[in-house]
Amino acid sequence: MSTHAESIGLADGTAADGAVHEENYLSAKGIASWLTTVDHKRIGIMYLIAVLLSFFAGGVFALLIRTELLFPGQTIMTADQYNQAFTLHGAIMVFLFIIPSIPAALGNFFLPIMIGAKDVAFPRLNLASLYIWCIGAVFSLVAIISGSVDTGWTFYTPYSSRASGAVLWMAMGIFILGFSSILTGVNFVTTVHKMRAKGLHWSRLPLFVWGMYATAVIQVLATPVLAITLLLLLVEKTTGLGIFDPALGGDPVLFQHFFWFYSHPAVYIMILPGMAIVSEIIAAFSRRKPFGYTYIALSSVAIALLGFLVWGHHMFTAGMSEYAVMVFSGLTMLVAIPSGVKVFNWIATLYKGSITLTTPMLYALSFIALFSIGGLTGIFLGTLSVDIFLHDTYFVVAHFHYVMVGGTVIAFIGGLHYWWSKMTGKVYSERYAKVAWALIFVGFNVTFLSQFVLGSRGMARRYFDYLDHFHTLHGFSSIGSYILGLGFVVLFFVLLHSLVKGEKAGPNPWNLAGYEWLTTSPPDAHNFATEFVAERGPYDYHLLDENIDEAAAKA
Amino acid sequence: MELSTYQLPAQLSTYAAEVDWLYYVIFWISVAFFVGIVGVMGYFVVRYRSKPGVRAKKTGHSNTLEVAWTVLPLILLIVLFHWGFQSYVRGSVAPSSSLDIRVRGAQWLWEFRHPNGMEELNEVTLPVGTPIRFIMSSGDVLHSFFVPDFRVKQDVVPGRYSTLWFEATKTGKVQAYCTEYCGAPEGATGNVGHSAMLATLNIVDEETYEKFLEKGPAAPEGLSEAEWGKELVEKSGCRTCHGVDGASQMPAPNFKGLYMREEKMTSGKTIVADENYIRESILQPQAKIVSGYENLLMPPYKFGEAQLDAIIAYIKELSQE
Repeated sequence: MSTHAESIGLADGTAADGAVHEENYLSAKGIASWLTTVDHKRIGIMYLIAVLLSFFAGGVFALLIRTELLFPGQTIMTADQYNQAFTLHGAIMVFLFIIPSIPAALGNFFLPIMIGAKDVAFPRLNLASLYIWCIGAVFSLVAIISGSVDTGWTFYTPYSSRASGAVLWMAMGIFILGFSSILTGVNFVTTVHKMRAKGLHWSRLPLFVWGMYATAVIQVLATPVLAITLLLLLVEKTTGLGIFDPALGGDPVLFQHFFWFYSHPAVYIMILPGMAIVSEIIAAFSRRKPFGYTYIALSSVAIALLGFLVWGHHMFTAGMSEYAVMVFSGLTMLVAIPSGVKVFNWIATLYKGSITLTTPMLYALSFIALFSIGGLTGIFLGTLSVDIFLHDTYFVVAHFHYVMVGGTVIAFIGGLHYWWSKMTGKVYSERYAKVAWALIFVGFNVTFLSQFVLGSRGMARRYFDYLDHFHTLHGFSSIGSYILGLGFVVLFFVLLHSLVKGEKAGPNPWNLAGYEWLTTSPPDAHNFATEFVAERGPYDYHLLDENIDEAAAKA
Repeated sequence: MELSTYQLPAQLSTYAAEVDWLYYVIFWISVAFFVGIVGVMGYFVVRYRSKPGVRAKKTGHSNTLEVAWTVLPLILLIVLFHWGFQSYVRGSVAPSSSLDIRVRGAQWLWEFRHPNGMEELNEVTLPVGTPIRFIMSSGDVLHSFFVPDFRVKQDVVPGRYSTLWFEATKTGKVQAYCTEYCGAPEGATGNVGHSAMLATLNIVDEETYEKFLEKGPAAPEGLSEAEWGKELVEKSGCRTCHGVDGASQMPAPNFKGLYMREEKMTSGKTIVADENYIRESILQPQAKIVSGYENLLMPPYKFGEAQLDAIIAYIKELSQE
């Protein structure tokens, strides 16, 4: 037993082949070696840098918005500039940051390793996807610099079809970004189907991979609809053909159907990867196989499919027929079920586990709490008469920030900490990482809990100014955003310090069972020095623990 | 803000209470779930904190648990869906006895027209205790009419009508907002555009409303009578046919110099265009027609007394210049 276990790296957490590799995926030097690489790990790292820069830009706009709203009346910008600020905050955060964040950065890096593959199925397409992302980002940058994109990230017609030319650049940019997302999706679906290591059957697949797989399916099926929508918008703007603008004979509500047919599934492109990371972290730091593994895995697929059927819930007040509204409300309620199943299974995983509160675990537990608030407030919005009241108020703003930031971003940062040593080969400071976590957690809640109350008291969205009785709560929210911002600054320095001065990390610092911990940190250019064969599941902590006990007994 | 709670604004319509009841049902269910989830999670984290020598228990599985936490929330959600839909239907279907008010949204104002044709801008006088139906359209982009104290909201879409109904339960001023983003003028400072597209619903008792319909609204604050008259002339479309510069060739008589002008009528009589003639020509344009304008069919306009005075004051002023 023990020799067998050692051969698959269970005994003491060293690499499977036992040899110490000096060569790794970071060894090749020079800009050209990065720009022409087809290594999924290097592409993942480049994506990581790109999405973090986007996150920074989107965050600056967020702080500008909150500063303007610190006091009633004009504070630091005009109404028109404010409209541009929230448009760019939304568009950058959604299209440039959050959609590619987990799949393209962490997914690219870890999906192949976690299925024991040498790379993704189409390494060149993978690199192409990064370059296409860059081209899309350049288009968006042109729109930002020309400075008059003020349609909101939703580009609702006919406002957007009458807006200035910069909107064309922004729409074109998002159109291009969509293709990078599709290529990532195609790559992941194919990779999971075709490249799994020997012994890695579907019921052994790490939950992170299941989540990525479900996400990839949505990316491939939904994103083309966004492309069609934006293309139709461009056609209307350039040729005057009436599609969405009623002045030309079009239908503005048709645009909303098109837009949400993509953008609602896109919500699941954003949250499923977050759930995928949390499933990994909870299992790792409870040292147990996830409770209800099959249910967690299949609930991702269920969410991906149901996600296609609920786009109409963004339009309950738009003037759809009452029957359509009824159907969309009913279907929306169903989405809560697979999300609930995940939460309950994560909690059951903690039961009789051996729990360590590392920084990634703190983020994962925060995710469960914050995502629960995001999900439960979704029930208010799925219930028709209550939604009519709350629609387009700050309640909705708070709700989706709890899901997107409290959910996805928190999971993303948790994943970044979880895999940091694997990606960089360096250790980060647990103590200061926890300080950053505390600031982010507190700042986030102060910012957005107050927005729930603002919304339920009738504060409308996308307002440059507000009536005096909303001042106190807006003040709270703005101060919360500064705490949140400070948390991210601390986090940045923690990670920077680790890169520059961090100690060298071992291959498996936490003694975990996941396949990615079997290779060196940072991993070999080919992921594993020898061919990887899955002889056990990625959560077989009972085997790992037995071996550690045996080794201790021998000593 | 009477009756308002820390979470919800005042209940000022017949519909508000049932929305609030459902809101609080969901609120307390959510609180229960949240406390349950976070409580159990917190307990497990403390209870099963890693200890030397204690291993995690191997994960089992329980289909009973999985089915339980799938089916029980599902039942709860079906009930909530049902209540929400029922309440939504009551909120969507206006009683047949409703008073119809025509509402037009445009960047960045709200226009209201009463059944007798009287118009108001960014402010509307409405009777308490009467179901009121807004028939709304947009002159440009999307808007949305939102009255938090009534718990009602409806998008206002160009190219079609949408409706919204409510019955106010108290007299007083009620704030309405635009809740579909509609832009702001470039370069302008201060609160302009979408966030300034507000309206006040002035809820009055039945008697006051009747009186209001007869006499019409009073001049907006800060405007002289003639200035208000000018605004009414421009907003009501008079300028499509009537000139005000005394020179240009327009299809209808020019307002400049009109006051006390002698005109030959199609009947052959000559009359002086005094206050009474102008008043009559607005309310019943076909009664006495100036010779040469026989082919022009001006529709009758409905204005309140104060509004008629204001328009006449404006025409007088134009003649004095």
